Amino acid sequence: MTNGKDPYVVLGVSKGATEDEVKAAYKELVKKYHPDQYQNNPLQDVANEKMAEINEAYDEIINRMRNNEYQSTYSSSSYFDSANVRNLIQTGNITEADNILSGVSPTQRDAEWYFLKGSVCYKRGWFNEAYDNFSRAASLNPNNAEYSAALNQMNNQRGGQMNGMPSGYYQNRNQDACNCCCDLICLDSCCECMGGDLIPCC
Amino acid sequence: MFGYIRAHKAYLRMYEYEIYRSVYCGICKDMDRRFGFVTRFTLSYDAAFLALVDLSVRKKKLAVKNERCIAHPWKKTMCATCGSDLSYASSVSVLLTYHKLRDDLADKGFKKKLAAYALLPFFKKAYRKACVRYKPLSEKISEAMKMQVAIEKDKNAGIDQACEPTALMMQAVFGELGKSAREKALLARFGYCLGRYIYVTDALDDLKKDIAQGDYNPLKIYMANNGIEWDGQGKFPKQITDFCDVTINMSLGALADCYVALDMKRFRDILDNIVYLGLKYTYDQVKQEKFNKRNKDRKGTTTL
Repeated sequence: MTNGKDPYVVLGVSKGATEDEVKAAYKELVKKYHPDQYQNNPLQDVANEKMAEINEAYDEIINRMRNNEYQSTYSSSSYFDSANVRNLIQTGNITEADNILSGVSPTQRDAEWYFLKGSVCYKRGWFNEAYDNFSRAASLNPNNAEYSAALNQMNNQRGGQMNGMPSGYYQNRNQDACNCCCDLICLDSCCECMGGDLIPCC
Repeated sequence: MFGYIRAHKAYLRMYEYEIYRSVYCGICKDMDRRFGFVTRFTLSYDAAFLALVDLSVRKKKLAVKNERCIAHPWKKTMCATCGSDLSYASSVSVLLTYHKLRDDLADKGFKKKLAAYALLPFFKKAYRKACVRYKPLSEKISEAMKMQVAIEKDKNAGIDQACEPTALMMQAVFGELGKSAREKALLARFGYCLGRYIYVTDALDDLKKDIAQGDYNPLKIYMANNGIEWDGQGKFPKQITDFCDVTINMSLGALADCYVALDMKRFRDILDNIVYLGLKYTYDQVKQEKFNKRNKDRKGTTTL
């Protein structure tokens, strides 16, 4: 996605490079092109552009590595080529992935199918359908960590979780110190009315 | 536009509110200048949000001037000047309002129809002008409107499908703002989620009217599928509001993910307010039937 450029070429590493090698190459390039060095310099724009390109390439390669690690633990389905569908979803080819999934007959739809269908719906932004599919997958195969993680994430969102919400928003209700004391005194009076005592000193 | 995207005023700082208002004011003036006097009366705060995102993404500074304004001729208010270039927001506002009016013509209610008939002639020219500049966008919007009509005729679509046209429309509107491919994709998804939020809120807002007039509403389909019986009188049944809650929350959750990834620096506090507080607050107002289209809370209805 680096505007058509191969991220490995951008970072100048081979395709078989390890994570450490990629990180080292990245650090080297950042040193070379860091915009701070080009302040008040006509080359500043070029440096900025180059930096953006390097960052994007780095993210892409690291993402690919992480995904590959993940891939080896993937579950699969006996009814259709789920690795292919996963790959299509990963690369953003949602329509094609959906087509393959639709081709599976309703009697052959297993947990993996529902999970992938849910992923397709989620990518499309059809969240209600995605949720239904994820819950179906998780109920068909409750032991699969990947399915329950997906379902958990959606459950958090359904509960109103929004990432990046600054702390302090909407949280200063009913947490007033004065109110708390007031409540305690009232409670104490009530207790005293009935012959008991909540706060012995007053 | 729709009027559901606004800040939670109680939580805005004074200077933030002034900036927010001055952007709104600037768009209004820009519309007057380029599209004619009548168009400016259809402006809503949605456009101000779009303009703020636009300015933030382009890292533009806001230029303001004290000016008199037609709505408050007796005092001068801060107003964003043309140096800030608010043309995208005003053009989009015209494009969307035009399609909304065309849509209203098909509405059963007499008042809406009349208003649409009265306003449309003023928008014809403005629409053509905006179309020339943003051709692909206007095409995408009209495509989405056609889809909307088909869904309303079909009367069977579930909530996800029903949200699609509005969501695609907003996806196109926000996607246009991005510079790099990554930014474009994030903004497009941001817009898509925002469109879903708008549509569901609107569906809840219109539910009583649609039940009374027998019009299509995705929430009616939900009621039918889940055996909820309600004649549209009194409070919304809990099952309906619960369903809307989770639908809205899922959309806003995904929207927040994109918003975080976009990491917009400029006008951060105002945008935060709208994204994290304003949207939910507006939806809550709709849910409690306290929502006022003119962005003025009825006295005593503000909840913190």
